[in-house]
Amino acid sequence: MTGYAVRRLLGLVPVLATAVVLTFVANQFVPGDPIMTLLSDRSGDAALEARLRAEYGLDRPLWRQFASYVGGILRGDFGLSFRFASTPVIDVIAPGLLVTPVLAVGALALAVPAGVALGTCAALRRNRAADTLVVVGLVVGTSVPSFALAAFLVYVLGIRLGVLPVAGWGSLAQTVLPVTLLAVSPVAYIARLSRTYMLEVLQQDYIRTARAKGLRPRLVVYRHALRNTLVPLLTTIGIVFGGLLSGTFVIETLFNIPGLGRMAIQAIFARDYPVTMAIVLLFTFFYAATNLAVDLLYGVIDPRIRLGRRGAA
Amino acid sequence: MTAVPVRAVAEPAGGGAPGVTARREFWARFRRNRNAALGAALVAAVVVAAVVGPWLSPAGYEDTDLRAVWAAPSPAHLLGGDALGRDILARLVVGARVSLLVAGSVLALTLTVGTAAGMAAGYFGGGLDAALMRLCDIVFAFPDLILAIVVAAMLGPGTRTVIVALAIVWWPGIARLTRSLTLSLRAELFVDAAIVSGTRPATILLRHVLPNVVPALIVRASIGVGFIVMAEATLSFLGIGVQEPLPTWGGMIRDGLVALRTEPYLALSASAALAVTIVGFNLLGDGLRDLLDPRVRAR
Repeated sequence: MTGYAVRRLLGLVPVLATAVVLTFVANQFVPGDPIMTLLSDRSGDAALEARLRAEYGLDRPLWRQFASYVGGILRGDFGLSFRFASTPVIDVIAPGLLVTPVLAVGALALAVPAGVALGTCAALRRNRAADTLVVVGLVVGTSVPSFALAAFLVYVLGIRLGVLPVAGWGSLAQTVLPVTLLAVSPVAYIARLSRTYMLEVLQQDYIRTARAKGLRPRLVVYRHALRNTLVPLLTTIGIVFGGLLSGTFVIETLFNIPGLGRMAIQAIFARDYPVTMAIVLLFTFFYAATNLAVDLLYGVIDPRIRLGRRGAA
Repeated sequence: MTAVPVRAVAEPAGGGAPGVTARREFWARFRRNRNAALGAALVAAVVVAAVVGPWLSPAGYEDTDLRAVWAAPSPAHLLGGDALGRDILARLVVGARVSLLVAGSVLALTLTVGTAAGMAAGYFGGGLDAALMRLCDIVFAFPDLILAIVVAAMLGPGTRTVIVALAIVWWPGIARLTRSLTLSLRAELFVDAAIVSGTRPATILLRHVLPNVVPALIVRASIGVGFIVMAEATLSFLGIGVQEPLPTWGGMIRDGLVALRTEPYLALSASAALAVTIVGFNLLGDGLRDLLDPRVRAR
């Protein structure tokens, strides 16, 4: 198990290294000269310009800039913002660090139970009306992007009925629509898989045995079937989390939520690429860490994995 | 994967008399598959709107009419007007054209690059295979929208950026699929026969491997279209995709949401158009998979 964990951990190195190189290269593509942009109307001030260039390290050769970029990231320092002079990127994005996780975790906490419940219900009533309804809902849920769905939900709940606030961040009511919309696609995805897994598990011999020995149907489902569908579902949590991170860009922009996703997009327009790239790095690190954690957890739960027989799963 | 399903996949693509039967059987099953038929109908409606719509539309998508600023639907403007008094219906149908053209370009790029890379990796193996697959792993390591955002930041917003960004995100999936199919085909007798008779690798790949990979690629592509349409709309919604004056559904939804309280037609109609298109492609894709994939068919 330890050997497997170490191998997987080492496998992260090329991925994270690529992410660091990619974001450094992307930073070089910022339109115009960031120092001249910062100076704006004081662009004639040569002394100030030289001071800023030295402070941002832009007077050094590219390879030295890269070395200090990598060194900074290892210490949790993402450099300086191109929009707010002499302000560390980490200070610019700090407020968002408290917002986006709330959104993502809230949506995940909503999506997993709702998805499993919907999928299980549909599987138990296969080809009946409830199943058909769920399956149709899943097609819509996986197909329609959150911002298109938002137009309808915000119009009906926020404007026509006026029961929920349509934008902003801070109160509990303001989190309802964003978290729900962020959860729609993961709910549909999880429900779809858990329906498939449940249908498969229900055909297994041990389910027939459990039924044959006269166990109540409810117990068969909860004690024997459901547990075994949760194991393969666990592997999808990484993908779901990646989708949630991507979803925050849209949802935060949509509802004017001061989180990392909206900051990353706004920073592109403000030519503050270091902020965008710091957030891209953070999200990539989180995503890789989640996938690693899921893989290791899966190894703990399913011994076939840690013995290295991947194909057997 | 064993050799048998590969031959079964190849069936519908075969020519001659057996092909005719297979094709007839395919259409018979297609008509019985209600989801696929519904999906095909929705997709056909969108395609017709994209092709014929802009040509039938009395107003151009760039024409501003001050009397139609945020106008309600009327005989002159069937879905009303937007903030600049542009006809929403005219912009919707041109938006369909933009959406489909972007998706088509991304598909063409990813299929070309992904198939070539996948066949080369699977056939030649060795260092080339290892290098290409590591490259795929790296792309897979990023949540796809995040990679697209980085590319958009580097190249600057625009139609070409969207196409390049989505192609970068999508080709590894095609390459992996093609590689695994090529690996199993590589073990087939007819490939060995071609090798011993002195056929060049390029000819083997194009004449013997490619035709057997195509059906699986068609299924993969048809499932992918919906996601590509959604990704393009998402980038355009965020403002880093296709730019004005070209209308896109994502951009129209963004503009419409701002005025949703008083002028809901723009956001709601563009959202509906986007939803119908993606649902259509996904239903069609799922249906085609059920019809063409022997592993699913057997169940």
